[in-house]
Amino acid sequence: MAIKRGRNKYTTPKSTGLIITSLIDFFSIVVIYLMKSYSAEGSILTNADNLVLPNSVAITKPKEIFLQVAATTDMVLVDNIPTVPTDDVRRIPQENPDPIVAKLEEKLNASYAQELQMVKLGALNKIQGNVIIQMDKNVEFDVLFKIMNTCGKVGYNNMNFAVMEREQ
Amino acid sequence: MAKRPSKMVEEGGGHDLNIDLKPFINFLVVLIPVLMLSAEFAKISIINLKLPEGRGSSTSVKQIVAPPNEDADKLLLTMIVTDSVVTLGAKGGFLPSLFYREFHKYVSREDRSVEVTVEFDPSNPKKQVKNPKSGKPFLINERQEILLYVVDENRKIINCLYTKNGEMLTDGAGNPLKEAKAGDTAFILTNPRRQVIVTDPGQFGLRPLSAYDEMKNRLMKIKQRYADVSDANDIILAADNEVAYDKIVQLMDVARAAEFPNIAISKLRS
Repeated sequence: MAIKRGRNKYTTPKSTGLIITSLIDFFSIVVIYLMKSYSAEGSILTNADNLVLPNSVAITKPKEIFLQVAATTDMVLVDNIPTVPTDDVRRIPQENPDPIVAKLEEKLNASYAQELQMVKLGALNKIQGNVIIQMDKNVEFDVLFKIMNTCGKVGYNNMNFAVMEREQ
Repeated sequence: MAKRPSKMVEEGGGHDLNIDLKPFINFLVVLIPVLMLSAEFAKISIINLKLPEGRGSSTSVKQIVAPPNEDADKLLLTMIVTDSVVTLGAKGGFLPSLFYREFHKYVSREDRSVEVTVEFDPSNPKKQVKNPKSGKPFLINERQEILLYVVDENRKIINCLYTKNGEMLTDGAGNPLKEAKAGDTAFILTNPRRQVIVTDPGQFGLRPLSAYDEMKNRLMKIKQRYADVSDANDIILAADNEVAYDKIVQLMDVARAAEFPNIAISKLRS
């Protein structure tokens, strides 16, 4: 007797559609979050290692790359090159009305001379004297004052403080 | 006799009604890496300092001509900050000082749930704060926030009403509000101040009065009163040697919020 080949009720269904609604929901949330933090300009400032910048409501973005002086709790750096230990800056007497950090001054003078040379060659219109100061938020004001005074003495009078933008 | 609709018509004319989501998913899979590449999670911005020209004693440029006496119509507003006091001074004199107690909030780097807020003792700045979980002292980099609370003459912290969003409430004269009843008028410390009629006093809560908020309140009052002086946008921030840089940046934010964008920094000579 021939076996009847018919449909039996235990065969698997033809196709089981993958439920992707939840996946789309997840993707949509990720896309919205990423669009919120999207930046077309990019970031031209990066903070040095071991440096915690203070939070601030300031939203001004740096437009150009200026000379960067960073001061961590251990070291003062000029354009990411370690220049003088912060403890040496602390040792300069506080009573001194015109404190100068000698090694920092030397380095800044070299950068200033380079800018002067660029003005002579016509690459720059004039010396702008811009400097971005990145300070660790736990460093005391005394160190900041000595660094600012040294920058001012060399000719970098247009000072900017780098801060971490606070979420509004 | 009506004809029975065919099975095909009942199922939607033979077309599959499910939307094909594969192209959309493909699009999202491409879009997400592109957005991730250009996302900026930690945004660094800058604060520009407006240093007064020709007044500095430390510039290499020698001043040959004495600066003209142009301070006659100037306010010369100065904010003085030390380890326990914030004071506002101007050419005419000083406002009553704001005495504060300082608290430091530490957050552990290893376990972000471990938070400790301790009072800072200015006479013993090197005192270490221990992590309650690991037992090791917190590193200085783990100090998340410096909180300054205004105190009265007995060093007791003064409380003030705050909204749920952390905005301070003042009365019509700009004094911190300590209690409010239904029907009272209060002002929220934003710039400009927002007037609210209290309908439910429960929506506000008493919190320690922050010295930053009270300083912003005072600066806004000064700005309103002396809007016509020639240096109405200028403020000098004079700090003590030991003041942490974080505190200076927070006070600069306060000054900018009260519309004093031209900030100069000075050292408080002992």
